[in-house]
Amino acid sequence: MSTLKVDNVSKQYGEVTALDQVSFEVEDEFAVLLGESGAGKSTLLRCINGLTDPTAGDIYLDGETISGSQTDVGMIFQQHNLVDGVSAYLNALTGSLNRVSMVESVLQWQSREDKLRSLEALETVGLLEEGHQRVSQMSGGQQQRVGIARALVQDPRLLLADEPVASLDPSSAETVMGYLWKAADEHDVTALVSLHQVNIAAHFGDRFIGLRDGQKLFDVRRDELTPALIDDLYGNVETVGLAEQKKTVEDLIADDPDDSDEEPMTETQRGIEA
Amino acid sequence: MSTSRSTRESLAVYLGYGDAGDSSVEQKLQDMKRRKTRRRLWTLVGLVLTGSLFYASLLVIKFNLAELVGQVDQFYEALLEYFPPTTYLGVPFVDVGAYLRFIVEENLILTIEGGQIVWGAMFVTMAVAFAGTVLGLPLALFFGVMSSERVVPYPFNFVFRGTMSLIRAIPGLVWFLILIPLAGVTPFTGALAIMVDTTGYLGRLFTDELEEIEDGPIEGIRSTGASRSQIVSFGMLSQVFRQFIAWIAFDLEHNVRAAIGLGIIGAGGLGLELYIQRQTFNYTEMMACIILIFLLAASVELASQRVRSALRDDDDVEQSGIVEAFANAPKNILASTMGRRER
Repeated sequence: MSTLKVDNVSKQYGEVTALDQVSFEVEDEFAVLLGESGAGKSTLLRCINGLTDPTAGDIYLDGETISGSQTDVGMIFQQHNLVDGVSAYLNALTGSLNRVSMVESVLQWQSREDKLRSLEALETVGLLEEGHQRVSQMSGGQQQRVGIARALVQDPRLLLADEPVASLDPSSAETVMGYLWKAADEHDVTALVSLHQVNIAAHFGDRFIGLRDGQKLFDVRRDELTPALIDDLYGNVETVGLAEQKKTVEDLIADDPDDSDEEPMTETQRGIEA
Repeated sequence: MSTSRSTRESLAVYLGYGDAGDSSVEQKLQDMKRRKTRRRLWTLVGLVLTGSLFYASLLVIKFNLAELVGQVDQFYEALLEYFPPTTYLGVPFVDVGAYLRFIVEENLILTIEGGQIVWGAMFVTMAVAFAGTVLGLPLALFFGVMSSERVVPYPFNFVFRGTMSLIRAIPGLVWFLILIPLAGVTPFTGALAIMVDTTGYLGRLFTDELEEIEDGPIEGIRSTGASRSQIVSFGMLSQVFRQFIAWIAFDLEHNVRAAIGLGIIGAGGLGLELYIQRQTFNYTEMMACIILIFLLAASVELASQRVRSALRDDDDVEQSGIVEAFANAPKNILASTMGRRER
């Protein structure tokens, strides 16, 4: 249960305005940021995560101002940003760095709970069996799932993802998004995800925030997202359309051939219909 | 009269300074020829300069071909002592037994006396190199990391960078001479010299490796709310951990060769033994030392290369076999003793 409030946030890079007085509030939802490259999606996420500071405006999480990177906000990057040379488990465990001292973390003296939490997070993203594998030996989709696990280990109240599936093939993209959705749902956290693929966005999102040239263009719920809005956001691009949404998220995860031998997913009360 | 003028003109055209036509293509051709002429002139200047420097150097070292020819007989005699001939079952061959006798007599490898292991010169050399490397490692790590601009902001990182440059400017042999008042002409001082040398060189290799890391994992760790020192160790050092191990193996290899050089000026071990035998003109015994040096350096190099190629993700370390490792050993020993390093 958490509320993210973005209040009049602006960001200038020299002469360039990346964000122009953006405001919105998201509460216990799976929100999607849409917009062209350069519209300010990444900048907004980096501001919320504290990787950059906004020039003006405030960001609140459950009513408290947040600044700087913190364990309450988990971030998933397009390029994974994992430590390649070590195992998926150790990468997930880095999500707990905030809770241990430097020496303890170097010697891997994290608490038993944190270690179990890391493995549980890997289980959530369907990678428990592969936990010992080096990240560099994993596929792009698996690496991204390790990224989700790391964010989960932080035990965040807010989950951010910056184009988490932009460099993946459609099938892996669907799987990763499915796990991301499941992670947010199971851990009951608010999620804000920027996406390029409108059909994926429409499939998973509850809320849709459109950014154009650093300004908020629309902020709508699922039933209000119309092709006209999308046209407005991207200009008349022929190949962008709203795909048919027939399957549920659970079906998507279960359909993935890589994960077919996994235990059945826990029942979630969610079914997405067209 | 007209012929000589036309010759002169065609020569001018050839060099690119003639009048060769009006079209832009012909003009460009002349331009290209002019450039070529200038390039040739610079090459000529370079050759003349190199030639005169070479001649001056020969004068300084009093190079004398006649002396070489005059000494050939003496060198041949020395060769007979280096490689004493004998016959095995009527086949002429080098007297390996002579080497072995000396190696055992002088305890160059090791002996066991009354249940106690007595380490020979070869292990003294190895110990100087190993102890020096291990002592220098934490210092190299400290200086290497602190020199990185991502850890210590510019210009403060130059304090550490500068210290390492200073260390490297002075060859390891000279560090030994400097440190003699501290611990005498002993293997201990040898290890200290190698420690200092390792700080400068290995630290520099660490810094170079740290320059090439990616920002992604650093941001990834930062986003979890980790502390600054955790960002350095998990975001940065974890990216280069394997490369660091590989460089340490490489440095140990280098230090074994350096320890032999240090031995010659007094740090004990095989180097010292070699020096004593040369001073007393015991050429066969001297060659026995060289053979052991060869075996030691080549074995360490072989082991180090195995470690490195096993560690590297990319195959940029050559997979050198036993034969190559032994064939490269003399060249590498020479390079290290002269204070040169190849990456």
